[in-house]
Amino acid sequence: MKKNLLLAVSLFALALQPTPSAAQSPAELNDLQIAHVAYVADNIDIRYAHLALAISTNPAIHEFARTMIRDHTAVNEQALALLKKLNAQPQDNFLSKQLTANSEKLVDEMSKLRGAEFDKRYAENELAYHKAVNDLVSNAFIPNIENAEVKSLFEAGLKIFKAHEHHAEMMVKAVSK
Amino acid sequence: MIRRSFIGKATAAIAAAAVPSLYLSWAGRASARPRRHRVEINGFRFTPDRLGVSVGDTITWINRDIAPHTATATDGGWNTGELVKDAEASITVISGMQTTYFCAFHPMMKARFSIAATTDQ
Repeated sequence: MKKNLLLAVSLFALALQPTPSAAQSPAELNDLQIAHVAYVADNIDIRYAHLALAISTNPAIHEFARTMIRDHTAVNEQALALLKKLNAQPQDNFLSKQLTANSEKLVDEMSKLRGAEFDKRYAENELAYHKAVNDLVSNAFIPNIENAEVKSLFEAGLKIFKAHEHHAEMMVKAVSK
Repeated sequence: MIRRSFIGKATAAIAAAAVPSLYLSWAGRASARPRRHRVEINGFRFTPDRLGVSVGDTITWINRDIAPHTATATDGGWNTGELVKDAEASITVISGMQTTYFCAFHPMMKARFSIAATTDQ
């Protein structure tokens, strides 16, 4: 039933920017709300990376952080280009707000750390964050995205984020030695 | 004047004597004309990740991912630089160059090529 309702949200409706629904679970978000979550999630990781560049003195952490900035910026540019093409605007929602609030707390916490303690916390958070986002994208977003181009972008994004997860695993091992 | 003429003749004779070997050498190169190889970067993989090449060949990397990548020699001896989506860069294969490479941004991405021994050297 829910699937039938979601199917009714066609590409045409997407272009018309439907009124945001009061979704309370990730699987209930529409394409434009999902796009907003992804944009926010990208920017959160970019913010963490800038924090790492400001605090860490570890070259490997810097290299990783620069990669996060480069890749997430590239994904966001593609997402914005697609939304422009579809004449659509991303829609703020409960999950975007929740992610932002959580990130604020984490930035506060990590800002107080220095040296190896910061590196370890940053690397561990990168691993946990990418795992959580990948789970969300794989299980809640991609199966429910209606627009084929948006779905394709998320599938491409998932490959990037999985590579980041693997890279973060290597970082966690490296800073835990 | 005479001397110059002699030198000219001598040069011509040496050149004529050298023709057969030069011709064979050229013919040998012609049969192994430099080739162009393409490596696609897609889904955080170099495809193909193994390649057989010869000195003088060209390898071109083209990035199909949204994320920027590089092809960088493991010893840092050569590098394509940053390749954004759909960008490409080439290198010419030279003798003794590093044949293993990786993406400097995503070090888990690795690949290699092997340089065939030349027969006309």
